[in-house]
Amino acid sequence: MKRSRSKTRTTAAPSQNEDTALAATPLESALTALAEANDSDAAVHSSDQAPTVNDSDGLDEEEDEEDEDDDDEEEDDGDLEGAEDDSSEDSEALDEIDPDEWPSSDDQEFDSDDEEETFRDNSVKVLRRKVPLPEIDPVYDPDTSDEETTNTIGNVPKEWYDDFPHVGYSIDGKPIMKGTEGKSDQLDEFLSLMDDPNAWRSVYDKIEDKDVVLTKEELEMVKRIQRGDFPDANSNPYEPTVEWFSSQTMVTPLSAAPEPKRRFIPSKWEARRIMHIVRAIRQGRIVPGAKKPKNTDLHNQTFFDIWGDSIEPVDRGIMHIAAPKQALPDHDESYNPPEEYLPTEAEKQEWKALDAPDRPRNYLPKKFDNLRSVPGYDRFIQERFDRCLDLYLCPRVIKKKMNIDPESLIPKLPNPRDLLPFPSALAITFKGHTARIRSFSVDPTGQYMASGSDDQTVRLWELVSGRCMNTWTFDDAIASVAWNPSKSLSLLSVVARTKVHLISVPGIAGPDITAATEALIGHIATLQSSPTTAALCHWAKTSSSPAPSSSSSTPLPPPTRHSAGSRLTLTFDKPVTYLTWHRKGDYLSTVCPDAATRSVLIHQLTKRVSQNPFKTAKGLVQRVTFHPTKPFFFVATQRYVRVYNLATQKLATKLQPSTKWISSLAIHPQGDNVIVGTYDKRLAWFDMDLSSKPYKTLRYHKQAIRNVSFHPRYPLFASASDDGNVNIFHGMVYSDLLMNPLIVPVKTLRAHQIVDGLGVLHCEFHPTQPWIISSGADGTLNLFS
Amino acid sequence: MGKKIKKGEKGAVTNYITRAQAVKKLQISLAHFRRLCILKGVYPREPRNKKKVGKGSTAPRTYYYRKDIQFLLHEPVLHKLREQKIFARKLSKAIAKREWTKAKSLEDNRPEYTLDHIIKERYPTFVDALRDMDDALSMTFLFATLPATDKIKSEHVRTCQRLCAEFQHYIMISRSLRKVFLSIKGIYYQAEIKGQTITWIVPFQFSQHVPNDVDFRVMSTFLELYETLIGFVNYKLYSEVNLVYPPKVDADRDAGAAGLTAYILESTVEKDIVSTLVAQVDGTSVPRAEKAQRKQTQKRLASLADKLTEIEDDGEDAEAAPADDEDIPRAIVAATTDEEVVPTLDTWKAKETELSGLQNVFKGCVFWLAREVPRYSLEFVIRAFGGEVGWDASSGAGSPFAEDDTRITHHIIDRPIQSTITSTETVASSDSSAAASATPQRFDRREYLQPQWVYDCVNARKLLRTSGYHAGETLPPHLSPFVNAGEGEYVPEEAMAMSSDNEQEAVGEKESSEVPADAMEVDDDEEEVDEEEEDDEDDVAEEADEDEEALHQAELAAEAAGLSFSEYLQQQAANPNTAKPSGKKTAVKPAKKPTAAEAEVAERKELAIMMMNKKDKHLYNKIQFGKARKEEAANKLRQKKETLRKQQGTPTPIQKKREAPGPVKKPSAKKGKTA
Repeated sequence: MKRSRSKTRTTAAPSQNEDTALAATPLESALTALAEANDSDAAVHSSDQAPTVNDSDGLDEEEDEEDEDDDDEEEDDGDLEGAEDDSSEDSEALDEIDPDEWPSSDDQEFDSDDEEETFRDNSVKVLRRKVPLPEIDPVYDPDTSDEETTNTIGNVPKEWYDDFPHVGYSIDGKPIMKGTEGKSDQLDEFLSLMDDPNAWRSVYDKIEDKDVVLTKEELEMVKRIQRGDFPDANSNPYEPTVEWFSSQTMVTPLSAAPEPKRRFIPSKWEARRIMHIVRAIRQGRIVPGAKKPKNTDLHNQTFFDIWGDSIEPVDRGIMHIAAPKQALPDHDESYNPPEEYLPTEAEKQEWKALDAPDRPRNYLPKKFDNLRSVPGYDRFIQERFDRCLDLYLCPRVIKKKMNIDPESLIPKLPNPRDLLPFPSALAITFKGHTARIRSFSVDPTGQYMASGSDDQTVRLWELVSGRCMNTWTFDDAIASVAWNPSKSLSLLSVVARTKVHLISVPGIAGPDITAATEALIGHIATLQSSPTTAALCHWAKTSSSPAPSSSSSTPLPPPTRHSAGSRLTLTFDKPVTYLTWHRKGDYLSTVCPDAATRSVLIHQLTKRVSQNPFKTAKGLVQRVTFHPTKPFFFVATQRYVRVYNLATQKLATKLQPSTKWISSLAIHPQGDNVIVGTYDKRLAWFDMDLSSKPYKTLRYHKQAIRNVSFHPRYPLFASASDDGNVNIFHGMVYSDLLMNPLIVPVKTLRAHQIVDGLGVLHCEFHPTQPWIISSGADGTLNLFS
Repeated sequence: MGKKIKKGEKGAVTNYITRAQAVKKLQISLAHFRRLCILKGVYPREPRNKKKVGKGSTAPRTYYYRKDIQFLLHEPVLHKLREQKIFARKLSKAIAKREWTKAKSLEDNRPEYTLDHIIKERYPTFVDALRDMDDALSMTFLFATLPATDKIKSEHVRTCQRLCAEFQHYIMISRSLRKVFLSIKGIYYQAEIKGQTITWIVPFQFSQHVPNDVDFRVMSTFLELYETLIGFVNYKLYSEVNLVYPPKVDADRDAGAAGLTAYILESTVEKDIVSTLVAQVDGTSVPRAEKAQRKQTQKRLASLADKLTEIEDDGEDAEAAPADDEDIPRAIVAATTDEEVVPTLDTWKAKETELSGLQNVFKGCVFWLAREVPRYSLEFVIRAFGGEVGWDASSGAGSPFAEDDTRITHHIIDRPIQSTITSTETVASSDSSAAASATPQRFDRREYLQPQWVYDCVNARKLLRTSGYHAGETLPPHLSPFVNAGEGEYVPEEAMAMSSDNEQEAVGEKESSEVPADAMEVDDDEEEVDEEEEDDEDDVAEEADEDEEALHQAELAAEAAGLSFSEYLQQQAANPNTAKPSGKKTAVKPAKKPTAAEAEVAERKELAIMMMNKKDKHLYNKIQFGKARKEEAANKLRQKKETLRKQQGTPTPIQKKREAPGPVKKPSAKKGKTA
């Protein structure tokens, strides 16, 4: 309601006074209508007021009108267009209706113009008063067509009536006959057309089924429509506008709201805005009418001292990283570089083959004889562009450049000269073996050495002279050789595949010692093996005669001065890889890794007993060792070293060198420190009191470590590796528990040639002297002193 | 239980923002974002932990600091960019509707932004701005040579040309050019202003190859910024030497391709025209302000009475100073005003005299540029070091003197010589005029030199001997002045010769003894003594050791060959040149046997390396690897040089170098100035 009203106001067509009447409340609208009609004519107002006040009839009348107005409004509520339709029809109706006929007109109530006229004209007023009004027939038909329709069939297809004589029904329900008389065929139709003088202006009405003759006015209207004019001849599109909202104050305002204050005072904002412009004009910032300079050259920009009042250090924050400058050109970028900077043909090819971003520099050095022959550089723009991209696309990161003197990284070690004695030079080379020497052993007195090789022989050497004193030949390659550590015996143990030979070596020690050894072997031979022992291995005395045994050894070559001694053989099911003695010389332990639960056996000589200390196999056993002082037994499997207490028969500790494959193991003579060599090139030093993890892991060999060894007297240890080197370390262990062991490398001995990827296979210190002996895959033994 | 911390609300995630997020936040297009980043100097960052920042994703994304983007949010240029977007829309609409007047009025009020505030913001101090001039200058000098196309607007090109010329003028006036290098890419210049070294590259003036894959929108955005920057820097520089900015352009000269000379410099103090710098270069018409400044500093120096007198008593420096130094050289003035911290007066003064020497390298030299030499570069360089220069009319108007001017000392020429060169000594000019029609006229008293001489002089900081630089001669190599060879790096022998020359000169000047120029000969028996690698030069004792060793080896070789010792001696005496080196080359080079002590040290080091922990060892190996790579590169060059020398069969020029420090045989002719 409200919206439509406002719209009608703003778009008010001046001719349609009704609209304004519609717009206001009933009383108001009446008054407005009056005011508008009289155009500020006060006199009319008074005359108008008089009848309303004085006459009761008039009052009634007005009440009637009000009712009608209400109706009007209700209609108007629906849609605005309806109202407009009304008005147009009204205006049309106005044309046709004569003032005489108006009481009979149907739609007189809607026509406010009529009313106005009646109001204007006094006589009419009088007339209205006297003549009783006819009964009004309100036609609430939305169809406002002025022609009466007789046919009321509705909107049905006409074909339905093709077979009937009638075309439809009248309002009374009577059939309406077709007007087909005389128009049976087209010829008749044509003739009648020719006869009818009004044929040219008649139109066939389908529904009524008859020709309608157009009137003169209707013809005119048709013509106007064809011309594109308004259909109504009287409508004037250029009517003068009526200023509803004019400067003149009306007595009755359109809105009842009081005028706001702002209407009466000048706008401050506008004043400010104007003053702003005025000031700009005065100062010359705005030149009215002046054109902007067309060419916006940079030099129209005024430069000034932008850094005039700069405070010195302005921090851009720690996060800001200034763009790095571009690298400065090198000699080879010169147009005439020294000749050595020019690339060779191969280098050129290499440069071209690389992808552009991978190239160390983005140009090829070239030499020109003179400046005039230097061409333009075709990638100049590209390079500037790349720089631009770098500047705005590349993430910047501050990279701290390590400014470290590499020498400062090297630890300061005590001078090896201060740590003498240690073996440092090759003294004697023992030649004789023809294959890899896997193992050797120095006898407890330190005068002799026995070495076993893959050529199936064991040789006895005098250490100081390097003379080969004896040679034993066996059926299989020698895996391990070890002297009995007891000084009162001269007993050598040799491992040849599944057999362990205990050989009494005559002639190298005093006769009493030899006799004792022989006696021991004889004693063992007399004993009977217990069933448990027999189940583990077979003890047998193979030969006691000076002549070589028929079974295992071949006749000795002439250099053997001493006859081979008596011999005790232990036979196992599986090949034995390692053998070690207890320090007292009564016990020995053998390792046969393939024998599953029986891989580690401990044998007692004097009782001819073999025992299996472990019920289950805990892995592939590599090495075993007795503790030098305590009843501990070390078993090195691939990954761990297990330490068993033999007295309590329990696992004491498990050392974890965190490597893949342990190769060897050595225990410090005092027994608290262990070194473990591994095939993955590492040497781990364990302090047993400290932890089960290594105190220090060193990785300096280039190949697998084959053996590690401690010196029994001096603070030395060594490692032998497949890279052919033997590394000697000073490994001092302090009696003070708080002091860490001191480990200092003192010498790298390049001991052996590398043959088939194998270098040094075994190394061992001399029991008393600071010497080391190493054996290699090249079939030699070296003594370093 | 504490409050559950949501993912992405704390820590590194909040510091970073991806590019897509940033664009969305700023509500601009990607192109505008790019433009804004370029102008404001906002660049992506690499987060330390991508996974944390990317909320678990390690996809390659571009990250910016959130604060940087926040900072862009309040940028006036951002608003202008939005306005421009709206403007473009309105304009296109108006044009589509054929509302020409509306379009025109829109066009007249096109929104434009200035970058003044950005310059101030990015470069809070003048020194900051100077530090970033490298790229700006290279870019402007490039655009100054480009043709105007649909992508490159002509006004940009014009502006660039103008800015470059202005900057070059300043460099010439302040004499702040330091190094020049002719590379295959272009010409590098290095200037020093307020202690900041500014290096830029200028392309050779040929039509540039414009590649297709270059986005000129990016370039022009950079250019926009750089133009403004250089404008402000130029203003500041000009106002500091009391010159009017912008300088006027002589339209006639500019039309005649006069280049630098088309600009008229005016002092702000007295309004007379200092104009073409020629007059100024003499030092006669130094701007008054500068003179006043000098007087002031003179006063200040005088107040340091005792110290100064001490120095003057010390003596020789005053004599060594350039001849025109009645008053203190220009650079000293600058230095005193700029930096108040003076280490010691002696060293400072020495440095300053050295510098002023460089600044006036070409003082008193008058150059003529033939039409084929690059005037755009040579004019600038010569005048920046105090020389006078004239040029052929075909290479531009505005030459201050003609070709037949008698003052000309150096004629820079870069074309093959057709006929007699030396004939000019005898033939009088009148006679040669007959031949002048065919070949260009030659003048007696001039040196006809190739352009490289000028650049080499600048880099050597003195006038070099002209031999080797004459027209038609094979030029010596042109070396980069920017290389500072570290230890173990390869130094070309020319550079070594240069440095040894300098040393000699220093020594010579101290002794102030003039050695005759023909003491150049090198006696042959000295030559063969040290024919060895260049790296071990100083260790005399070791060398002696080695020589003995080599001798021994040679004797052994002779013995193996079946020669008796006497025969061997004879052979040695017969050809001393060949026998010895051959012995050396076979024996000494591969196995330089270390002494016992050395071997022990080496062994100890090796043992100590064994005991390094893993981390240190890794680092150590890395450093060693880097060193080895450098060494390899250097060795490669050395090897190449060696093979080249063998091919050419020239006696090793290293000897000259090696002998140079020796006090006896000194090629002092090099030192003699050829002015």
